[in-house]
Amino acid sequence: MGAQPPRCVVTWTIEQVIAIAPTPARFVAAEVAAAPARWVALGADDHAAWGRCRGSGREPYDTMVDHVHVAWRCTCPSRSQPCKHALALLAMWVRGQVPSATASERVTTWVEAHARRELAAVAPPATAANGEGPEPEDAAADQPPGRTDLDRSRNERVARLRHGLVELDRWLDDRLRTGLSDPALARYATWDALAARLTDARAGAMANRVRRMAGLVGARPDWHELVLAELGVLHLLAEAGQRLGDLPAPLADAVATACGWQVRQADVLSGVPDTDEWIVAGRSDTREDRIEVRRTWLYGESSERWAMVLSFAAYRQTLDSSLRIGSRLSADLHRYPGPSTRALIGTIHDGPSGDAAAPPALDIARWCDHAGSALAAEPWVDRVAGTVRAAPTIDGGRWVLTDETGSLALAAEGPGLATVVAASGGRPVPMTVEWTVDGVIPLSVHLPDRVLDVGPRADPSFVSAA
Amino acid sequence: MSVVAEHWHELVTAALLGTDRRDPPDAPPGPLADAVADCAAPTPSGRMLAAVATCTAVRRAGLRPRPPVTPLAPPESDDRPTVSQAAARRWRSVVAQWPVLEDEWLAVVESCNRRLPPDVLVGLLQRHSGDAMRWSRVMRIGDPLASWLVEQQPDLAARAGRPRRAVANEPPTLPVPPSLVPLLAADTDTIVRVLVGGVLDGTFAAAHRAVLVNFLARMRPDACHPLAVALRDADPPHPVVSLVHLLADLAETRHQMLEELA
Repeated sequence: MGAQPPRCVVTWTIEQVIAIAPTPARFVAAEVAAAPARWVALGADDHAAWGRCRGSGREPYDTMVDHVHVAWRCTCPSRSQPCKHALALLAMWVRGQVPSATASERVTTWVEAHARRELAAVAPPATAANGEGPEPEDAAADQPPGRTDLDRSRNERVARLRHGLVELDRWLDDRLRTGLSDPALARYATWDALAARLTDARAGAMANRVRRMAGLVGARPDWHELVLAELGVLHLLAEAGQRLGDLPAPLADAVATACGWQVRQADVLSGVPDTDEWIVAGRSDTREDRIEVRRTWLYGESSERWAMVLSFAAYRQTLDSSLRIGSRLSADLHRYPGPSTRALIGTIHDGPSGDAAAPPALDIARWCDHAGSALAAEPWVDRVAGTVRAAPTIDGGRWVLTDETGSLALAAEGPGLATVVAASGGRPVPMTVEWTVDGVIPLSVHLPDRVLDVGPRADPSFVSAA
Repeated sequence: MSVVAEHWHELVTAALLGTDRRDPPDAPPGPLADAVADCAAPTPSGRMLAAVATCTAVRRAGLRPRPPVTPLAPPESDDRPTVSQAAARRWRSVVAQWPVLEDEWLAVVESCNRRLPPDVLVGLLQRHSGDAMRWSRVMRIGDPLASWLVEQQPDLAARAGRPRRAVANEPPTLPVPPSLVPLLAADTDTIVRVLVGGVLDGTFAAAHRAVLVNFLARMRPDACHPLAVALRDADPPHPVVSLVHLLADLAETRHQMLEELA
């Protein structure tokens, strides 16, 4: 039996709101307007949020947002879409500052009209062309007028995602046809236009990958190899994402998540927990577009499995620093669907406490097996964590980690390298590292009496991070 | 070069030119070719995409270590006990909030003959790379690891050059106004009475912040805790509330710093 797509989600994250802002400045402006005190008649339901924002005009601006079909309407004169009022309304809704209410007839009419147009637009053209079904407009008209049909909403989202993935595959095909030396690749707009279309298709994770890839072009002499590998990964995901129903359930979940299918935190937290003594083994911060992402790696002492907890911060926000590296906590972890390591922390039974806990360290050959297994299960993951006992040394002008079983190239020298070298003193030392396509990144060094946190750290001028 | 690596190299070359100008290379016989053959893409670019995706997945899953490399020759051994974690954390907070105490922190570490933790050693070398006197002092405390580390990581070397005179190896004394100099040698009760009384009766105001900070960093260590307690218990007038809190924090920080290093 084929796997069903994960449950439909109507909750957004603040990152998605930022992603639809036309410019970062527009979101900053929206943040100012995202104060409930500036709004009247605020309300939201399963499909829309609405309210009237007191702006510079005499009359408050009437704003409504359809968060299922991603549409907005506002009476402000702004030509920028979405305007700051729509973004502010979405931001407040995401933060739970918009009370539940029953939509007025005006809101209902607008949402239904938009949904009908949307459905007509996403209906597969082949169906109508083959004469095997009603015309898209008719199909929309045949839908029951009720607005709480979650199945319909989910099917629409699946259709939209699939449509986006088909378009992505076509774009990838064009890239290989014209070659990586095509000057169009050097223009950010080439990538940004595709990323925007993927965002529209609610494939936000794919859009992020595409934007990251734009930064690789010309960045180093071997950029062609990196971009080609990433194009291959995108093709893999685009193909798999179009065949979710044919994949085994865990793989389908992993593919759907990697494509950007959002899973509600509440759904994750309602799953069976993975209760264990968790060692907080390492941390790395990376900037992804306009968001700072913190990955905190946990190791389960009984299950001997790794888990990753993410935290996000936009400009001037604060990254979560509650998990101290080297500490240990007894907690319920709820894993996201599929074989992914991503998890949410549920109930904490004890801790975090201590400051010198360390996962068992592998030699380099066994660490490669560990990372290879994780990459075989999900070739699209960007990072795999593990703990290795090795010594840093120089090979051909590049820093590597070595032991008697082999060596691993380190990623470009980061600020933590000097500390790793000092901590090792030329001898093997246990350290938690992250595999990336650029090489291995040391995250922490486990000394007998302390753990040194050496992972890449967020720029303090962008976000606040301990 | 392995078969997969060779095929990947051919794919990169073909991808640079594009399939409009060059046909994609044939996958080497075996599982890789079978996987690509499963793809029903009718166009060369479609077949090439399938080959790139398959090869990427195989290369990632088949992660293998490179041959072992000769490790670095280690530095001379150092049997001194390492500075405690609490003291290392204190150094970070002192640097961020009360840099006036950093010289004393280093002096105590040196006098106690403690070893600097690796992260603190690196932090100190980076922080003082432009200050030859303090950089040299860190090297002296951090040796033999420090010299070995600077050899491996030349970026940690001093930018300002080594000090020319031995006298420069001591940090400058923090300036205190002549009226307060006798108080440096006074007993704890007198220090507490004069400082707390002076702040409350208006003798010391916010304008005296800098000299009072210097005084607290130089005064006898056993006066720190009683002074911090007395300042916290005081009921200062509005204009000096923040000054009182600030001085209490400095006195308590110095007290704890010295306790942790003891």
